[in-house]
Amino acid sequence: MSALGELRRLGASRAGQAHQRDNKAAFLFLLPWFAGLLLITAGPVAASFVLGFTDYNLLQPPEFNGLENIQRMLTDERLHHSLAVTFTYVLISVPLQLAAALGLAMLLDRGLRGLAFYRSAFYLPSLLGSSVAIAVLWRQIFGAEGLFNQLLGLFGVSARGWISDPDTALSTLIVLNVWTFGAPMVIFLAGLRQIPVMYYEAASVDGAGRWTQFRKITLPLLSPIIFFNLVLQIIHAFQSFTQAFVVSGGTGGPSDSTMFYTLYLYQRGFHNFDMGYASALAWLLLIIIAAFTAVNFWAAKRWVFYDD
Amino acid sequence: MGYSRREALTLAAGILAGGSLAACGGGGGDAGGDISKEAVKLRFTWWGSDARHKRTQQAIDLFTKKYPNITVSGEFKEWNGYWDSLATTVAANDAPDIIQMDELYLASYAERGALLDLGAATKHLKTDGIDPAALDTGKVDGKQYAIPTGVAAYAIVANTTILDQYKIPLPDDATWTWDDLKRIGADVSKASGGKVTGVQSWGFDTGGLNIWARQAGATLYDAAGKVAIPPAVLAGFWQYLLDLAKQGIAPAPSVTVERAGAPLDQSGTATNTSAFGAWWTNQLPSLSTASGQSLKLLRLPGNGQPAAAQSPYYKPSMFWSVSSRSRQPAEAALFVDFLLNTTEAGDVLQTDRGVPSNSTVRAAVVPKLAANDKAAADYVSALKVGAAPRVTPNGASSVEAILKRHSEEVLFERQTPQKAAESFIAELQKEIDAA
Repeated sequence: MSALGELRRLGASRAGQAHQRDNKAAFLFLLPWFAGLLLITAGPVAASFVLGFTDYNLLQPPEFNGLENIQRMLTDERLHHSLAVTFTYVLISVPLQLAAALGLAMLLDRGLRGLAFYRSAFYLPSLLGSSVAIAVLWRQIFGAEGLFNQLLGLFGVSARGWISDPDTALSTLIVLNVWTFGAPMVIFLAGLRQIPVMYYEAASVDGAGRWTQFRKITLPLLSPIIFFNLVLQIIHAFQSFTQAFVVSGGTGGPSDSTMFYTLYLYQRGFHNFDMGYASALAWLLLIIIAAFTAVNFWAAKRWVFYDD
Repeated sequence: MGYSRREALTLAAGILAGGSLAACGGGGGDAGGDISKEAVKLRFTWWGSDARHKRTQQAIDLFTKKYPNITVSGEFKEWNGYWDSLATTVAANDAPDIIQMDELYLASYAERGALLDLGAATKHLKTDGIDPAALDTGKVDGKQYAIPTGVAAYAIVANTTILDQYKIPLPDDATWTWDDLKRIGADVSKASGGKVTGVQSWGFDTGGLNIWARQAGATLYDAAGKVAIPPAVLAGFWQYLLDLAKQGIAPAPSVTVERAGAPLDQSGTATNTSAFGAWWTNQLPSLSTASGQSLKLLRLPGNGQPAAAQSPYYKPSMFWSVSSRSRQPAEAALFVDFLLNTTEAGDVLQTDRGVPSNSTVRAAVVPKLAANDKAAADYVSALKVGAAPRVTPNGASSVEAILKRHSEEVLFERQTPQKAAESFIAELQKEIDAA
């Protein structure tokens, strides 16, 4: 007994030593990331907080101006407009995108032949969706002489510039975002795989139809995944920048119809030499996103079902 | 994931670090010193088309052949990206030594101390060959922060191939009025069955607006740099553009907006889909190349008022300036002198940056020009002009973005011309006050 106990203790202490060595190695490997976090993320975040209370104009040293930037936000009509545009974009495109992602994930989950191919094919737009190349392509497709109009022409619908018309420009960006459903789709697919088949078998024995099975089994068991995707995509959508920047040529036009919050912030900072105000705007965005996420977590208690 | 938070903050870090450096760094070298015999590296930035990049690189090569110890590396961009990147490099204390500057941004950079007073560099950079009135356009608060590369003027570019095709006579630009342009434009639209519109809408650059204001005896800004255009005059400008669009004389608003955001070679003039368009004279060669048809410069229509005679003006097409933090201001000044005052450089650059502002260079270059460059030069020298408008005030560098947005509001009938005029004036004044 004692010999065995001795042996165990020895093993444990060896494991402990190995553990410590591993920790050191891990820390060493993480060091570049920590350095990056401090220098490239944390430092500038703190700096932008300070700059938010200054009149920094990029070319001259900043001077504190108290709460002036915050007062400006209250009366800045273009800011309010950009918030309206951004909220519209987030509140329409995210649910549509998640619905598309879930729908396709369920289709793919039914054991299609060549699943790997389809999964990759549908995932591809997510990799490309916020890239400059796709935004340029979008501009071509929805331009006055673009592919979309040629397609409509076949059905006798008259041509218009979808991107250059303030009534439709934002819709094209929403479609672009919905099209990048691949990332949430892959996560949904993994989630669907976790749901034991026996639940469905039992349900169908009891006479439950497809819709009932979806509502009573799939949705509740998938709710943590839906929640995860929802939080992630909302944050992502609030930060959208590239699409609007490229599609509108950096203007947020026509007549401010695609003026996303981030684009407005960028314009204030880099076009109007208004970096102090832009820094304050960046913090407002952080607060808005945090608030949305907090509400999400609060509401999650009512609808997210954790199995374990 | 596009423009992630991290990237944005990296940028912010650079700017912050640069800002504090700039704050304590102070000036660079001595602009009045001797030219170094050691190896010197200069950085030179400009915006423009491919043709300009080629010409400029040739001029650089000539310079470095003459001064083998100086190397000049060019950094060229297109217009929009140019200003974003200039703002960040200047903020990061990493500005190129020689900067191609525009009238819109001159005061914004000069008043914030980013540009060298070239009055301190006269040892290497001579300005006596340049017309004093032209030189004045590069002054801010009495200091010579920039030197005009050349001058251009606003003009109507008429496609005579299209006019001939529909048997429409070329209007007499000495006497025509805005109503004539409307009428002839409508004739073109009708004759072509809508394939070609008479007029390409404008309203997206300040040239058209300035001249409209000057014809009414007003100006966009007063001498003190306040917005001075009367709302009624501005409303008239937009009403005219709206009429063109609604009567089918100009393309539908969404087409106009799309073209306004596209490169020059996709414009109505360049694609031969509009018979008349408003342009700067130095754009004629590029337009002709793209169009392939016969283009002619016409003076702008008048409004029948006496002020109209004095309304055209010479716009400095662009400027040369030197960064106030250049470590080699003497060599940078020498390089600008080479570009500005030597016929060797002039022969290469021709009128791409406007008709050369140095009279000796101009006299040497103009007779050798190709047909389109020569047409532009002849138009400019024959034009009767009034005094140039005041330089765009500090804070108003975004005037064209504000103008564009309001033009869009009017064209899509989201605002009446009158409301748009009031809103434009208020917003522009607010930007100036905040700077």
